[in-house]
Amino acid sequence: MNQEPITIDEQSNESSRFNQVFDKLQSREFRSTIFHTTISILMALVVAAIIMVATGYDPLSAYSALGLGALLNFDQVLWKATPLLLAGLSVALAFKCGLFNIGAEGQLYMGSIAATAVGYMFALPLGIHIIACLAIGVLAGFLYGLLPGILRAYRGAHEVVTTMMLSYAAVKFTQWLVSEGPMHNPGDSRSVSPFILETAEIGKIFGSPFLSWAFVIAFLCVPLVAFFINKTVMGYEMRAVGLNEEAARTAGIDAKKNMALALGLSGALSGLAGTVEIQSYYHRFYDGWSAGLGFDGITVAVLGRNSPWGVLGGALFFGGLKAGGSFMQTNANVPSEMVQVIQGLVVLFVAAPKLVDWLSKHGIGFASWIKNNPKSGIPSLFSFGYGILCAFLGIVAVGPAVETSFMLLLLGLLVSMGSIAIIVFNLIRDQRSSQITMLISICWFLIAIAGFTMQFVSIGTTSLILGSIGIIIAIWIIKTRPEVIQGQEGIE
Amino acid sequence: MQYDPFSLVMIAWLIKTTIQFSTPLVLTALGGMYSEKSGIVNIGLEGMMLIGAFSAVAATYFTNNPWMGILVSVIAGGALAAVHAIITVKLKGDHIVSGTGVILFATGFTTLMLEVIWGQRGVSEQVTPIPQLVIPGLSEIPFIGDIFDSLSPIVYMMFFAVIISWVVMYKTPFGLRIRAAGEDPSTLDAAGVNVETVRIIGVILSGCLAGLGGAYLSIGYGSRFGKLMTSGRGFIALAALIFGGWSPIGSFLAGTFFGFLEALDSFIQLTIPALAPYNNFIQMTPYILVVIALAGIGRSRPPKAVGVPYEKEKRA
Repeated sequence: MNQEPITIDEQSNESSRFNQVFDKLQSREFRSTIFHTTISILMALVVAAIIMVATGYDPLSAYSALGLGALLNFDQVLWKATPLLLAGLSVALAFKCGLFNIGAEGQLYMGSIAATAVGYMFALPLGIHIIACLAIGVLAGFLYGLLPGILRAYRGAHEVVTTMMLSYAAVKFTQWLVSEGPMHNPGDSRSVSPFILETAEIGKIFGSPFLSWAFVIAFLCVPLVAFFINKTVMGYEMRAVGLNEEAARTAGIDAKKNMALALGLSGALSGLAGTVEIQSYYHRFYDGWSAGLGFDGITVAVLGRNSPWGVLGGALFFGGLKAGGSFMQTNANVPSEMVQVIQGLVVLFVAAPKLVDWLSKHGIGFASWIKNNPKSGIPSLFSFGYGILCAFLGIVAVGPAVETSFMLLLLGLLVSMGSIAIIVFNLIRDQRSSQITMLISICWFLIAIAGFTMQFVSIGTTSLILGSIGIIIAIWIIKTRPEVIQGQEGIE
Repeated sequence: MQYDPFSLVMIAWLIKTTIQFSTPLVLTALGGMYSEKSGIVNIGLEGMMLIGAFSAVAATYFTNNPWMGILVSVIAGGALAAVHAIITVKLKGDHIVSGTGVILFATGFTTLMLEVIWGQRGVSEQVTPIPQLVIPGLSEIPFIGDIFDSLSPIVYMMFFAVIISWVVMYKTPFGLRIRAAGEDPSTLDAAGVNVETVRIIGVILSGCLAGLGGAYLSIGYGSRFGKLMTSGRGFIALAALIFGGWSPIGSFLAGTFFGFLEALDSFIQLTIPALAPYNNFIQMTPYILVVIALAGIGRSRPPKAVGVPYEKEKRA
């Protein structure tokens, strides 16, 4: 008698859970997040393209090589994504509790050095050795995260500063261990530890020279962290503390304990990230091997909006960038450092969600204004287009003269910056757009004069033409201005 | 070759090196002070230093004039800081995330441009550094002469910047506004001052000073740019700022102390090679000290409204 209703209950639960996921995917919030992230990435790619054009690379071939490289070497993408995923989860978990673990790097170093020590100092049976290394790495990371956690919770020391400082301390400490200290590989001139024993190595999968079971471990952590955050009491408490510490405390949650533990668990994930990298790929501890993985973890978490599945997406994206970066270097001759530039730009754009909102709001306003007032709107639209053109060409046009004339380069930069002001002033429908347009065209004339005197005929003619166009547009705007005011009054 | 650690020459050398190493730290910490005092967390100092160091060398390389390099480094640091300012103040973005973006961008951009301009990875070509300032007659005096014999003019700029910053911060209306923006922005707003403008100026100033600090590394102390040449000095400067309790004099003292630790590192290598293997522990000291200072009696107190975006109250 009792069993039937229970099964029905479970079924309805099941379907409602499915509906929940479905609703979430359809919800406005989720869509706007996706929209913001996509636009941010696109804007980062556009700005990176401008930098590429300005420095004499071809962005089209660079991006196609980047994409192709990521697709062709998908095993490398997953390999690169593995530590990013774990470090990203680490940062995201702490953030759920309202804490910024900016020193994931240090926990990663502490975890990996501890795992390396167990890896080469003890001879253990095959399966046990791997697990022992993982466990000790996670533990070391946990403790190194717990320390700033306790300091934050019970002594009020801000975690951004303490984790950062402890991270640098960890780098120096491990450097000592493998250079002058007890873990230095005897007879080696480099700062490295001995190789870990084969029993501690994590095996490769799919016959790939890069991809290993480490990715599977990292991937399994995603649902695990998601479950922990969303379905367990402690995860709930941590989120509550993150949302509003005071309210959580009033509700009887031990905020301090949760904060300390959240940073500890975050450190454990970072420790795991370092450990699996050593066990699956490096097999020994090199001084400074991670090259900013902890920092990459922040970018991944930021891009994934601190949700575990979002972090997976972010890790795959940046993993793709990293794997494609080396392909881009060999096939499109664009230095792989470009990837780091893109990464930084993505973070900067994601950091400012209001920029996207601002752009879409004013973009729509601008478009409808042009539609309603074509007479004054069209010159403004031209000026807007002129701004975009000059923002590009400002740096590009003076390119040939970079080697000889520094002032010309500065002028070009000035034009590019000023052109951004043209775009902004037009978007917010500010009257000053005509003056700025005028100023920019004067700058162009200056560049033209400099170009002709320095025998750069191409620069001279281009700037002369652009300057003239600017003057015409500026005069056009000024001529139609009275009607602009009338038009606006008419609307109001 | 081993030197006597207690000879007068070596002590003078230690003091001189301390001054040299602390210059970029103090300049950047002072910069960080303007930003943090106005209420904007600036962990991007490292990136601003890096871009300053790079642009100083690049500008010197193209113009053959190191003074132009200094000017450009200040502008470049300020420009990068302006991006941080727009994101954090105008667009109310997260300060730490934006700072991280600034660091990543600066790291990638400088390494990229290193390859674009000089076609090589790692280091740039040598450029003319800033001429050292030799005060005539001073080098004749035995002990003091050894210290102040030939120092970069940026070192003197640093001393000057400390004094100016103290005067600006505590004796001028502008300093009062900066401090108010960080402690109690709504009062400042009620007094009819635009909080956002004050904060933006604070952040840009921080970038300018950090850029100058970076320029000292590349064309003041050395004469070329190396990949990631700041190597965490931006964070040590941040540590000095916190350790110094967010004040100009405190930043100066803490920065000098951290510079002393860095100098001690080289000093030990020259004089007591037996201790050299433990240098890493000296290098760790600034970081550990800051953690202790923050965890200790809580004497290091940040500005109250730091990290909190200021939303102007809407008229009803």
